[in-house]
Amino acid sequence: MNDHDTLFAQLSTLSASVVLLFGIALLWRRSLGAYIKAFRWQSLVLSIAFALIGYFGNDHELYIIAIVLLVLKVFVIPWYLSRLQTRVGAEREAHPYVNVATSLIVAGLLVMLAYAITRPLVAVSRLPTRGGIPLAVGLIFVGLFVIISRRKALTQIVGFLVLENGIALLAALCTYGIPLIVELGVFLDVLMGFLVMQVIVYQIRDTFESIDVEQLNQLRH
Amino acid sequence: MLFSLLLIPSLVSAALAAAFRPYRTLVGWVNALLSLVALGAAVSFAGHAVRDGEAPGFGPGEMLRADALSALLMVCVAGAASLTLFLGPGLGGETNYKASQLRRYQLFINLFICSMLLAVAANNVAIMWIAIEATTIFSALLTTLTRTKTSVEASWKYILIGSVGIALAFAGTVLGYFDFVTLSGRAENALNWPVLLANAPSLHPEVMKLAFVFLLVGYGTKAGIAPMHTWKPDAYGEAPAPLVALMSSALFAVAMYAILRWKVVADAAIKDHYADRLLLALGLLSLLIAAFSLVLARNYRRMLAYSSVEHTGLVCLGLGLGPLGVFAALLHLVNHTAAKSLMFFLVGNIERKYGSPLIRQVRGLQTVMPWTGGLFAAGLLALMGLPPFGLFISEFALFRAGFAGHHPWLMGTVLLLLLVAFVSFIGHLNRMLYGTAPEGVTAGENGGWRIAPMMLSLAVLVVLGLTLPAPLETLLNQIVRIVSR
Repeated sequence: MNDHDTLFAQLSTLSASVVLLFGIALLWRRSLGAYIKAFRWQSLVLSIAFALIGYFGNDHELYIIAIVLLVLKVFVIPWYLSRLQTRVGAEREAHPYVNVATSLIVAGLLVMLAYAITRPLVAVSRLPTRGGIPLAVGLIFVGLFVIISRRKALTQIVGFLVLENGIALLAALCTYGIPLIVELGVFLDVLMGFLVMQVIVYQIRDTFESIDVEQLNQLRH
Repeated sequence: MLFSLLLIPSLVSAALAAAFRPYRTLVGWVNALLSLVALGAAVSFAGHAVRDGEAPGFGPGEMLRADALSALLMVCVAGAASLTLFLGPGLGGETNYKASQLRRYQLFINLFICSMLLAVAANNVAIMWIAIEATTIFSALLTTLTRTKTSVEASWKYILIGSVGIALAFAGTVLGYFDFVTLSGRAENALNWPVLLANAPSLHPEVMKLAFVFLLVGYGTKAGIAPMHTWKPDAYGEAPAPLVALMSSALFAVAMYAILRWKVVADAAIKDHYADRLLLALGLLSLLIAAFSLVLARNYRRMLAYSSVEHTGLVCLGLGLGPLGVFAALLHLVNHTAAKSLMFFLVGNIERKYGSPLIRQVRGLQTVMPWTGGLFAAGLLALMGLPPFGLFISEFALFRAGFAGHHPWLMGTVLLLLLVAFVSFIGHLNRMLYGTAPEGVTAGENGGWRIAPMMLSLAVLVVLGLTLPAPLETLLNQIVRIVSR
């Protein structure tokens, strides 16, 4: 491995770690403002990671993806989230189903699990970016855990967005991104999915006067 | 040319619905008739496949392709879509919806149909993913057409569980692509299914196993395979009946189709029945959960949702039982599409008449609405797997495949679970059909001419129960050849 590849490997693993850390930050913060900030920073680092991989991997399509990602996930979606927060009211995640200390331990275990199941991937890959692959899968798991263990609809949306970031990171590290046309379709779907979720959150607020999903318990048998 | 006839009519319909404000009944009729164009295109794709076994492609990088498997699914989706547009609200007559709701319904149901057709016509597995994700979005927009606490709750669960599931399927797609790229470098058409399949034998089994688990969990969530089925009873219980008719028949078929496509690639890469074993295990679990939930059902919509979980289990078992099983599973998919779409239109009729989704509120259905009641009974008997309906034949074929594949214990358990489901269905049906109608419910049908298309669905079920038409048999055999090479 030459110097160029070593530097590339170090930088990509570093950025993957930072992206994962911002994901885990969701577990110890409680206010929606902090979640939005964490998501925004995470997306910024993610788009830098895309640009880095584009530069070192010599693939200029990734620059386009990095820019779309920057616009969408650093500006557009956080803006909508803040607007949602001001309109629906900033309900804090005061009593999650799983408390903060336990959540952090679970997150640690999930990352270890990710290392265990991605061993064949890391063994197979010859790319310098392979060191970050377990971190991306770890982030997918952390996103899932946020959705399961938190009670506010808005927190669950942020959890879903973080999960999506994990998958984008996985695609970047594993294959230097998927074909551009597909990637753009995926971004469009993510944006529309997010907008529909937002519509339903407004409906939850209007019909239940709160966004605590604890109240969504009428449907049984 | 055929591809545009398949995909464009539903787009035109959506545009028409968006253009006319306020909503006009004429738009509904034009849209219903346009859906027949798409159905015609689907049938002629199937005809091409049967006659000369060719798989026409279209678009840059052969983005769309219609082999026998796609053609079969196109016919199922387009058929269910036509039925939905003719039987759904918006064609005049008695309705609970306001003009603005009808407009929204016509807009999104057509986009929903278009994305399902695109999903089965796509050659590129990532385009297939994008289209399936779009189905979640458009259907979620319709689940809260009438906004109540329970419908909002159901749609939140639906969109959250559905989006997370489909995101995991995307992670699986990325992992599959990763394996390909690691071997043979980046290629523009690497995600095209035939290219993927041709290279599959040299892919790494370990990586493919991981990818397939993600894909099965992801698309399995859309299909409602247990334990990812939890959204199903809620969404089927609360969403508008015509949407549910389409979700339970066509959308379910599309999700199973996605699993089947990837299973073929996984089988070629892994070689040791790994995918089969997973499908058998999840199929059995679905049957188990469905059978015992059916006993407890108090709401007839949720009862039908658990019946869906049951049939999901049966199709999974079929896909895991080798070539004979795949034949049975696909025939079952066709039968189930006809039966389930019929049932949910009847449910819409019954609910409008009795004003309640609870089984105990519905009494004397047979005297209050003789046609609807009769069709409902026939449809439910078909779903139980009784002759002379098509599902009997496909379940019989499934058991034959199971015993031929030396799984006597598994098939014995399945038979027992089907029996449990059967007994509880009979009980629920008895309670609904007989007895005296509650006060305030006047006798009389509320469907009008709509009974005729429903009879057509039933006729399809009976024909498939009495004989296996030669073109369908050829088509299914071609699919089996594609799937188990």
